[in-house]
Amino acid sequence: MVTKEKLKDYAAKLMFDMDDEGYDRTLKEFETIEKHMALIGEIDNISEISPMTFPYEIYHASLREDKALECLTNEEVLSNAKDTKANQVKVPKVVG
Amino acid sequence: MYKVVIGLEVHCEVKTNSKNFSSAKNAYSEYPNEYVDTTDLGLPGILPVANREAFRKSLMMSLALHCKTPDIVMFDRKNYYYPDLPKGYQITQETKPVGKDGYVMINVDGVDKKVLINNIHLEEDTASLDHFGDYSLIDYNRAGVPLLETVTEPCMYSVKEALAFLETLKGIFLYTDVSEARVDRGQIRCDVNVSLMDENSTELGTKVEMKNINSFNNVKLAIETEIERQTEILNNGGKVLQETRRFSEEDLKTYPMRSKVDAIDYKYYIEPNIPPIKIEDSWIEEIKKDIPMLPFERVEKYMNVYGLSRYDSDIIVKDKKVSDYFEETISLGTNPKSSANWLTSIILGYLNKNELSIDDLYLTPQMLHELIKMIDDGEISSKQSKEVFIKCIEEKINPKDVVKSLGITQITDDKTIRDIVVRVLDSHPDLIEDHRKGKNTFDFFVGQVMKETRGKANPSITASIIKDEIDKR
Amino acid sequence: METIMDLRKSLDDKKVTSEELFKKSNTLAHKYQEEYNSFVTIIDDYKHVNSNSLIDGIPFAIKDNFSTKGILTTASSNILKDYVPVYDATAYKKLIESGGVLVGKTVLDELAMGGTGTTGHTGIVKNPWDKSRQIGGSSAGSASSVALGIVPFSIGSDTGDSIRKPASFGGIVGFKPTYGRISRYGLFAFASSLDHVGCFTRCVRDAAIVTDILKGKDERDMTSLPDENINYVDLLDNDIKGKKLFYIKELTDLNLYKDSGSETIEVLNKFKETIEKLKSIGFIIEEVSFDEKLLKAIYPAYMTISCAEATSNNSNLTGIPFGPRGEGDNINDIMFDARTKGFSELIKRRFILGSYILQRENQERLFKNAQRLRRIIVDKTNELFKTYDAMILPAGGGIAPKFDSEIDRMSPRYLMLENHLVIANFGGFPSITIPSGFVNNMPIAINITGRQFEDGLVLNIANKIEEQLGYKGIIKEEYDV
Repeated sequence: MVTKEKLKDYAAKLMFDMDDEGYDRTLKEFETIEKHMALIGEIDNISEISPMTFPYEIYHASLREDKALECLTNEEVLSNAKDTKANQVKVPKVVG
Repeated sequence: MYKVVIGLEVHCEVKTNSKNFSSAKNAYSEYPNEYVDTTDLGLPGILPVANREAFRKSLMMSLALHCKTPDIVMFDRKNYYYPDLPKGYQITQETKPVGKDGYVMINVDGVDKKVLINNIHLEEDTASLDHFGDYSLIDYNRAGVPLLETVTEPCMYSVKEALAFLETLKGIFLYTDVSEARVDRGQIRCDVNVSLMDENSTELGTKVEMKNINSFNNVKLAIETEIERQTEILNNGGKVLQETRRFSEEDLKTYPMRSKVDAIDYKYYIEPNIPPIKIEDSWIEEIKKDIPMLPFERVEKYMNVYGLSRYDSDIIVKDKKVSDYFEETISLGTNPKSSANWLTSIILGYLNKNELSIDDLYLTPQMLHELIKMIDDGEISSKQSKEVFIKCIEEKINPKDVVKSLGITQITDDKTIRDIVVRVLDSHPDLIEDHRKGKNTFDFFVGQVMKETRGKANPSITASIIKDEIDKR
Repeated sequence: METIMDLRKSLDDKKVTSEELFKKSNTLAHKYQEEYNSFVTIIDDYKHVNSNSLIDGIPFAIKDNFSTKGILTTASSNILKDYVPVYDATAYKKLIESGGVLVGKTVLDELAMGGTGTTGHTGIVKNPWDKSRQIGGSSAGSASSVALGIVPFSIGSDTGDSIRKPASFGGIVGFKPTYGRISRYGLFAFASSLDHVGCFTRCVRDAAIVTDILKGKDERDMTSLPDENINYVDLLDNDIKGKKLFYIKELTDLNLYKDSGSETIEVLNKFKETIEKLKSIGFIIEEVSFDEKLLKAIYPAYMTISCAEATSNNSNLTGIPFGPRGEGDNINDIMFDARTKGFSELIKRRFILGSYILQRENQERLFKNAQRLRRIIVDKTNELFKTYDAMILPAGGGIAPKFDSEIDRMSPRYLMLENHLVIANFGGFPSITIPSGFVNNMPIAINITGRQFEDGLVLNIANKIEEQLGYKGIIKEEYDV
C-alpha cells in the first residue's frame, strides 16, 4: 500500500520535497494510476510478451570509432556553474 | 576458528583515445576540466554514443577471463544522486554484461587456484572530487572514462589469495593492453567483501563491503582490519551486520557507511539512447586472435618446457616486454636457462639500478643470443662477458665488436697453454710436492698462467692441463 | 496566410528582404506576447547565414527545450530559468546553417511534460482562435506562434502528441517523422524512447520542406537513421489512387461516446464526412477493429513509460554544474533545495510516479507491463500496415478545451480518443495532423499515421488530403496581416 509517508520518502530519494497538499494530490493520483494499471493487467497473456524499449528494431546503429575530438573550453564547462574555484565547480565539502 | 571468505569488485580504467560515451579525450591531465564534452557534463539534451574500442577491449578482457560474451551490445542506467555523477545516473551494464561466468587461474605459494568471475561489465567513471577545508572541487576530466568492473564470486580464502588475484588481474590488463592499470593514477580501484564463517560450517557468514579502496596494500590492510573486527564480534558472541563500511588508512579502522536496510534501489533500466547492436562472431574471433599468451600460461610453459624455476619464471613474466624479450631470445636457439639467468640476474639488475625499461636497452635479443654463444663456445669467459655487456650497452656497440676491440678473445689452444704450464711447473717443484701432500697450491699455478697470458687463458682448459701435467710427473 | 513557398517566391522576386520578414515577425511576436505568451525569449537581433536552401532568409521559432548556444534555454522550468547552453542542438544548427532566421524560443509545458500549455514557468499560452481556450501542449508556444501568423514554421518536440495535438487545436499542420529521422541531440530529454523532433507549418508542403532540412544521420545520436537520397517534397504530388487507409472502429463508433457531449459527436460526424470526401478522390478507406482493452491501456502505458524515463532523464537537474544553486550547508541540502524550488508540484508528482514505477519491486508489474503493452500495440499496428498504407483518425475527441475545463481521466473519450496519437510514439511511426474543418468555430483536425521509415508516403497522402479538404493555410481573420 502506498501511503503519504512512503510518498515523502520517495520524494526525498528524488531530492525534493513539496507541501502537504501536494502529497495528498499525489496519493489521489496514485489511485487513478492503479486503476489505469489494472487495465494493462487485464490484457490476455501480457506476461508472455517481451518488454519493448525501442520503437522498432534498430538495425542501422553502429559503435563510434575511438577518436578524440575537440571538447568544451574550460570557460564553457564552468559558464553555468554558480560557484567555481581554480577552474573547477565548487560545492560545500562532500563527506563520505 | 573462522574461515575468511573474500570477494572482490575491481574497477579498472580502459585505455582508449576517447571517453566511453563522448569524443572527449581519455587522458590524464594535470589541468582540471580540460577534457570535458557536453555529454560528460550531463548537460540537458546530451546523448551517449558508445565507443567501439572500449567495447572491443572489454570483450578482450572478458575472453581472457574465460567469460561467456553477449550476443548484443547493450547498456543500462543505474540511477542515484551524487555530486560526482553529473547525469544523475551512470551508464553501466546490468542486463547484458560483456562477460559472465568466467574464471582466472592464480598461483599462491606454488599452488594453482581457480578464482571464479561472476561477471565483467563496462561502465563509465565519475568526476573526481578534491576536498579542501570546508569545500570540495569537481573536476570532470575523469567523468565518462571507460571503466571495466570485474566481479568475482566470494571464493578467496586468504589475504594472500586476494592479492594474488589482484596481481594476476593486473597482469592480464597489462598483457592485453586493455589498461595501464596504474594504481598511482587511481586507474584501478577495488570494492572488497569480507565475511567470516565457522570453520566447520558450509554456510557463508554475513558479508561486509568496503568500497573504493585505492591500492593493493590497502586492500590487504582493509581485509586484515575487517577480519580482526569481525573475529572479535563473533568471539564475543555477537552478530556481524550486513553493511557497507569505509576503510580508513589513517587509523587502520573501518567505519560504518550504510546498512542493508538503507541499501539504494538503483532502479536499473535499459539505456534507451543506445540501441542494441549485434556482436558478430567474426569480431569475437578477431579479438581472440589479438590476445597474447598470458602470464599464468607463460609461467607454466617456462617451468614445464624450459625447466626454469617458478621464481625465475615469475620474475620474467612480471613485465610482458621482458617476457617477450626472453621468448625472442629463445626463438633464436639460445639455451632457455642461460637466457633466464642473464635476464634475471644481469639485465634486470642493470635496468633496475639505472631505472630503465627493457625498451631502453641497446642489447637486442639477437645480441644476447650472440653473447651467450660466445660464452658457450669458450670465446670469452663468463667474467669477461659481463664487461662486454656493460661496454655494449653503454657505448652502444655490438657485443662481437666489443670483444674484437678489447682483444679479449680467450686462449683455448692446448699447446700454447701447455707450454706455459710446463714452464710454471718447472720453476716450482717444491709447490708440486706441497700439492701432493694436500696443500692447496693449485690456484697458485692457475694464477701464474693467467698472469703470463694476461687473463686470456681459458680457465677450465688451464685447470685441466695443470692437473694433467702434475699427474705426469 | 503565407507559406514558406510563398515567402520563398517573394524573397526570390526581391519583393521583400529577409530582414524585413524578420522585423515583421519580431514586431508581431512582441505585439501578441502579452496576450498569448508564445515566447520565453524573443530575439531582437537579425542574424542570418546565407544558404541556397528553400528556407533561406525565412523566420522561424523553436521550442525552448532545444539547446541554443548563447541563447537562454529554460524548458519553461524554474530549474533552468537562467541556463544558457554552450552548444547547439543538431536540429537548430541545421536550420541556422540552412539560412533560417530565429525569431524566438517558445513556451512549453514545464520540461515538455504536459498537454495543456499552462504549466510553463512564464505563464499560460492561449489559443489564437479563442483566448479562453488552451492551445494544448507541450509545444504550446510553437503552435501559437504559427497559428498567430508570427512565423511560417516552428520546431517542436513530440513525446505523446506534443506537436500533433496543439497543431489540431490551432488549425495548423503538425508533423513528427519516424523515430530517428531527426536527431534528438540537444533536445532536452523527456522520455528518450518516445521523444521525437518535428515541426509546425501552415501546410503539408512546408512540413516536407522543413523535414528535408532536419532529417539525417547524426554522429551524436546513435538512434538517428541513415541518410536517404530522397527529398520528401519531391514525393508530395505522387498519385494516391488506390492507396489504402484504415480507421479504427472502436475509436470512431458514435455509440461509444454517447455520454461525451455534442462536441465529440460533431467531431466524429465530420470525420465520417471527411472519409467520404477522400474516398471520392480515389483513396480506399476501410474500418478495422482493434481490441478496446488495448486501446484503453495505451494512455496508462504511456504515462508509465514516459514518467519512468523522465524521472531518470531529469536527474541531471541538481543545480551543481548548471542551474540555480540551492541553499544549504552540505551538498545534499543544496541539491535538495535546488530541486524543491526548481520543479513545480505537477512535475514532482510525475517524478514520484516515475520512480515508483522503476522501483525494483514494481518494475515488473508496472514498467515492464507497460513496455509489453507497447509491443502489443506496435505489433498490431505493423500488422495492419501490411494491408494498409496509413491510418486515418480524428486527432482528438473535441476542440481545444477551455482553461477551466475538468477532464475525466477514466472516461472512454479520454482514455481512447484523446490519446491514440501515442501509438505513433510507441512505434516511432511518422504521423501528421492537418486541419479538417471547424466545430463551434474552432478548428478540428485529422491525423495520418503511416509505416515506419515511410515519411514520404505519409506526407504525400496528407498533401493530397489537404488539397481535397481545402483547409490549407487557415488563420483567424484578425491575424491575417
